[in-house]
Amino acid sequence: MIAGAVGMAKRGWTVYASTFAAFHARSYDFVRMAAISRANVRLCGSHAGVEIGEDGPSQMGLEDLALYRAVHGSTVLYPCDANQTAALVAAMADLDGISYIRTTRGNTPVINDADEQFPVGGSKVLRSSSDDVITVVAAGVTVHEVLAAADQLADDGINVRVVDAYSVKPVDVDTLRTVARETRGMVTVEDHRPQGGLGEAVMAALADTKARPRIVQCAVREMPGSATPAEQVHAQGLDAEGVVAAVRRLL
Amino acid sequence: MDHHTLRELGQQLRVDSVRIADTAGSGHPTSSMSAADLMAMLVANHLRYDFAHPDDPNNDELIFSKGHASPLLYALYKAVGAVAEDELDTYRQLGSRLEGHPTPRLPWVAVATGSLGQGLLPYGIGFALAGKRLDRLDYRTWVLCGDSEMAEGSMWEAFEHAAFEGLDHLTAIIDVNRLGQTCETMHGWDLDAYADRARAIGWHAITIDGHDVAAIDEAYREAAATSGQPTVIVARTVKGNGVSQVANRNGFHGKPLPDAEAAIAELGGPRNLAVQVRSPDSDAKPHRFPSGEVALPRWEVGTQEATRTAYGEALAALGTGRGDVVVLDGEVSNSTKSEAFAEVHPERYFEMFIAERR
Repeated sequence: MIAGAVGMAKRGWTVYASTFAAFHARSYDFVRMAAISRANVRLCGSHAGVEIGEDGPSQMGLEDLALYRAVHGSTVLYPCDANQTAALVAAMADLDGISYIRTTRGNTPVINDADEQFPVGGSKVLRSSSDDVITVVAAGVTVHEVLAAADQLADDGINVRVVDAYSVKPVDVDTLRTVARETRGMVTVEDHRPQGGLGEAVMAALADTKARPRIVQCAVREMPGSATPAEQVHAQGLDAEGVVAAVRRLL
Repeated sequence: MDHHTLRELGQQLRVDSVRIADTAGSGHPTSSMSAADLMAMLVANHLRYDFAHPDDPNNDELIFSKGHASPLLYALYKAVGAVAEDELDTYRQLGSRLEGHPTPRLPWVAVATGSLGQGLLPYGIGFALAGKRLDRLDYRTWVLCGDSEMAEGSMWEAFEHAAFEGLDHLTAIIDVNRLGQTCETMHGWDLDAYADRARAIGWHAITIDGHDVAAIDEAYREAAATSGQPTVIVARTVKGNGVSQVANRNGFHGKPLPDAEAAIAELGGPRNLAVQVRSPDSDAKPHRFPSGEVALPRWEVGTQEATRTAYGEALAALGTGRGDVVVLDGEVSNSTKSEAFAEVHPERYFEMFIAERR
């Protein structure tokens, strides 16, 4: 699929190719070579993360963000709702190099307006106030868990800033550095292995800053089995309860 | 070009391959020498390519799946006048576009090769499918493959797919020089081991002596005349052909010849034959699908939807607005939801089955 896409791209066509996020690992050498070929190819990995639920770990894409972040000149996108997805799919058509979009199996709430712009390299601050103590950065399916966690924390008088980092690469360095300055610590939440995904993208963006915050990384650390999506997300500490606990560790 | 001159051209390509690897101090001259006659005949008498206009959509595609035979490719570029003699001396040097394995830094190289198992069929399929179903042009895709890389599963995935699609403008040339990097291949010089498999899958297969220019000429003609199925030319060759210090001897993969001067003398010395490659016969324009407005799907805030569904619906809308958009899927389109595009734009949707690589 990838090599065929590269051949068509090299003939000048605007090519998109999709399979499960998990199965992109099989074709990775072809993606590596596509970058050397200076090919413009748009890829989609669906069924990302433990969120897929009952099918179990063989079907879960848990390494795809790391794989695609490592490709020279690549773009990695992870939308949280339908309108954001549509905007990013359209934006991919005009991107150079290898671009990758990660999609989710189950329904998620639509939280963004259809007319909203989502520039590649940007992010969206979903919650913000002058007395935020912690910033939580999420993308894709975890955005909704983080919003629920923010509501629970607000009920206890703890305000957190919430950033939707839908552009995992390039990540929005300016916004991340701003929130790092303006809050006391950060939490990252991703339905992906801790290596090479959103959390490490955030850490890399802040590594060379003077006031580097303490960062707690929520990610998929255990080997999943079969379970409902809600049970899977809970077991890895990626649900609202897990996010609340992570924020409290920083207080 | 007549057969006598073609033999001379083959020797020239060998001499230049030996010479540039010797100057560079590294490279794969013996892997180049085995395929020299195959490529001499192809470029001189069968390829349709305008080297002055590499973007001409009617150009054939020539892919060196065995990218390590870059000395041969660059020797060819010299013979056709695309690369000057003194540029050959920059092979493998810092800043040179003549890299150890070919990349599109050279305008005549469409895809980078060097990771074995990709060029032949995998990339070839993309080009050939585009030619048949998208561009709807008559160009041919020629792919030079090594015999060692036939052990890669991706090659056989691609063999299957090319036969399934009836890609008769795709020709694979397997340079069966028997020797891999460290040892003999599984099949050695058993040409039928490759040909029988290809035929079983649905290819037209021809076995030849890869140093017999008349046989090579006839095989290319037969490939071009074959319709409804792709052709593979399985060519028995000698690694390091023409130079006794390395010919058919194990242990000389990926290194300059021990005595380049003696080798060049044995090959009859340098030559300067110039090849006039035939330009495409056609000036047809690639087919284009209609474009219009891109009207992306919209969802109301507060409703529920899966982002994979949004991906498929956005693609379908994008395809309506942009005739240049094409979509492939690894036979999970009802999961990834790219089926939404397939339903609206079936002519621009490609089912690649459960073969994520090719």
